[in-house]
Amino acid sequence: MGGFDFSNHTRNAALMASGMPAPKATSTGTTIVGCLFDGGVVIAADTRATSGSVVADKNCEKLHYISPHIWCAGAGTAADTEFTTAIISSNLELHALSTGRKPRVVTCMTMLKQHLFKYQGHIGAYLVVAGCDPTGSHLYTVHAHGSTDRLPYVTMGSGSLAAMSVFETQWKKGIDRDGAVKLCSDAILAGIFNDLGSGSNVDVCVITPEKATLMRNYLTPNVRAPKELKYKFEKGTTAVLQEKLISKDELRRYITVTEVDAEGETTLTTDVMQVDA
Amino acid sequence: MDALVSKYSPVELDAALAEDSDDEVSSSLPQTVSFILPPIDQPAKFLRAMTDDHANPAAPIKLKHGTTTLAFKFQGGVIVCTDSRATQGSWIASQTVKKVIEINPYLLGTMAGGAADCQYWLTYLGMECRLHQLRHKRLISVAAASKILANLVYSYKGMGLSMGTMLTGVGHGGVFGLYYVDSDGNRVEGNLFCVGSGQTFAYGVLDRGYKWDLTEEEALELGRRSILAATHRDAYSGGYINLYHIKEDGWVHHGFNDTNPIFWKQKLEKGEFQNVSTTLDA
Amino acid sequence: MASSYLLPHAQHAPHAHPTASSQPRQHHWSPYTENGGVILGIAGKDYVIIAGDTRSSEGYNINTRTARKIFQLGSGIILGVVGMSADGEELARKVARKIDDYKRNHDKHITVSAAAVMLSRTLYQKRFFPYYCQPLLGGLDENGVGAIYTYDYVGSFEREQSRAFGSAAALITPFLDNQINLKNQFVPGSNGEEPRTPGDMPRDLVEKIVKDAFSSAVERQIEVGDGLQMVTVTRAPPRAEEEEATVEDDDEWTGSTISETLSPLKQD
Repeated sequence: MGGFDFSNHTRNAALMASGMPAPKATSTGTTIVGCLFDGGVVIAADTRATSGSVVADKNCEKLHYISPHIWCAGAGTAADTEFTTAIISSNLELHALSTGRKPRVVTCMTMLKQHLFKYQGHIGAYLVVAGCDPTGSHLYTVHAHGSTDRLPYVTMGSGSLAAMSVFETQWKKGIDRDGAVKLCSDAILAGIFNDLGSGSNVDVCVITPEKATLMRNYLTPNVRAPKELKYKFEKGTTAVLQEKLISKDELRRYITVTEVDAEGETTLTTDVMQVDA
Repeated sequence: MDALVSKYSPVELDAALAEDSDDEVSSSLPQTVSFILPPIDQPAKFLRAMTDDHANPAAPIKLKHGTTTLAFKFQGGVIVCTDSRATQGSWIASQTVKKVIEINPYLLGTMAGGAADCQYWLTYLGMECRLHQLRHKRLISVAAASKILANLVYSYKGMGLSMGTMLTGVGHGGVFGLYYVDSDGNRVEGNLFCVGSGQTFAYGVLDRGYKWDLTEEEALELGRRSILAATHRDAYSGGYINLYHIKEDGWVHHGFNDTNPIFWKQKLEKGEFQNVSTTLDA
Repeated sequence: MASSYLLPHAQHAPHAHPTASSQPRQHHWSPYTENGGVILGIAGKDYVIIAGDTRSSEGYNINTRTARKIFQLGSGIILGVVGMSADGEELARKVARKIDDYKRNHDKHITVSAAAVMLSRTLYQKRFFPYYCQPLLGGLDENGVGAIYTYDYVGSFEREQSRAFGSAAALITPFLDNQINLKNQFVPGSNGEEPRTPGDMPRDLVEKIVKDAFSSAVERQIEVGDGLQMVTVTRAPPRAEEEEATVEDDDEWTGSTISETLSPLKQD
């Protein structure tokens, strides 16, 4: 588990010391939030992924599946949130299978924090964990270094202050499902419009003991403005040095079919032309 | 008081004429311009930290750099030829830079290093040359003009100016001059120079084809071909080929032409650049 | 030399810490901030457009959604600036003053080409402590033809047809190269022999290209957004004789008309 290869570490450290910039990871300057309500929990996220100041993905998914009743919102390095949640999702499933019980949110949170603590913050995953289990509805945050919080409403990412300002002014005890969804999406909107690292759409996931409902692109307040002009190039606009047409039949020359039996032994190798013949 | 009186007294023309022209140039540091410095004890260090994108790729201010320029003397005068690309880090800031600065109808300066430094100080040199002409009633020699520039930039040594320029032209009595002057303080006379990041590529072609007895036509073609070679191999050079010929009665411009069609013409019609493939099979 | 072999750093050590004693040492002084944004200028046969977004940011925070980056300097000349907004505004004020001084001293409006040199000298005066901004000067030249002058931080300049500066310059420039200067486009049927030549583009078409450039930049560059400020200089209609006689303060007539529009951009 976590088979990391460190063989390039010394070389890369030397390159960086000589002035070569490190490759940019797609990070999610992000707004993610979560809120408990009477009978469940809601999490929400924006959908912008950035690489420096450039938008890498305008509609990425930051809400990750862990188990049927546990979902996770991720901020930080995109690859780290993706893989960390996937690893924990697998392990939690194995855990559920071996214990014969439904997975608990606290178990998920503990596995995440132990995994992240082990890597001393080098895995840049900042997560909001939410779900329902036989002990009730739960909401946690997990930081990259391994610390965790358990609160009725949480925010994380570069837009966390903008989002938290919404919670701190509008959250009420005993909020209902619709109220929680509205509050979470409003908090994400605050991040989208006031934090440059967050943008585009709002994704929401509502989790109750019965089911989890992912509402992908629950709000789309940033539809692209229509273009004033059409940009179509007349045929022949591009200079061509040489033309070569490859027909469908010719293409088959490049394909090789290999038949493999159940043991993985190669039984027959032919190219398609022969098969056809 | 004496200084004040002399400042507003008309120049004694005879006295000025009697002076050696090379002595005159040393007194011509700019008194009217003053530069604003940052309020710290090491301005040059600060400037380097902010602008030297070679040492620090994250430097906030990236100045324009990257060039191939060449100039050579031959039997028929001087050929000056440059590319036209300006780069800021790996960004092509411009493909249309005029790297040959027309100081006056008899003098040209080439631009390598900091674009602003070259533009500013060669324009300033033009002013000094005009003043020399008015004071002495004859054209300044290229030797004297290049020395004004060399002394000038030397007085700013260590402050962060960056220029590598070839000063060339025709001076009093139809004498051709060609000098390489840079911001380190070098001033070298010579028959042939290439300057800039693509200089080695240009030298390769230029040295191969150079001889004193080149005809005008051959010399122009050699200049053009040398820059073409440099734009082909040096990523920091490219754009257009800017070509000048200096004759006894001043310079003549021979065009500002896109390298791309020139390259393809050279390849397809003359069979050069065989390394570049035009077929899908190769 | 044996000692320097044993202690290779010994001979450098005194230079490495020249003020190791009690003298105070300047550690980190950073007078520059990046406020983001993008500007773009296009010169036509009888007009000039400079456009810019109106967002001013610092890091992930928006300082204001209504910052103007394009300034009218007087005498029919406009200036766009991106980079550090404080330096940009200072530069605009300074050059506007100089253009006003010129008018009072010479009793005539400055030409764009002269203003271009003036701006260059203003930038070069701070060669050793540069302004952290990239300026773009626009106006109509002596023949009424649109002119854009572009600069680097310390005053090297060039007259161009079109140019984008700022945090989305890398996104907009290739678009402009292709759509305004028709780079990499050939006349269909000429088999790559005859490049399409940029002719005079009508102003309404160019305005649409500008709007598309910005609405696209907003999609991919987080520092660009909120609003689009578009400033256009066109030739003023020729005045009737009697009107000319009645105009009291003739000094104000520059021969060009400047108009400005603001339109919304996405705010995320």
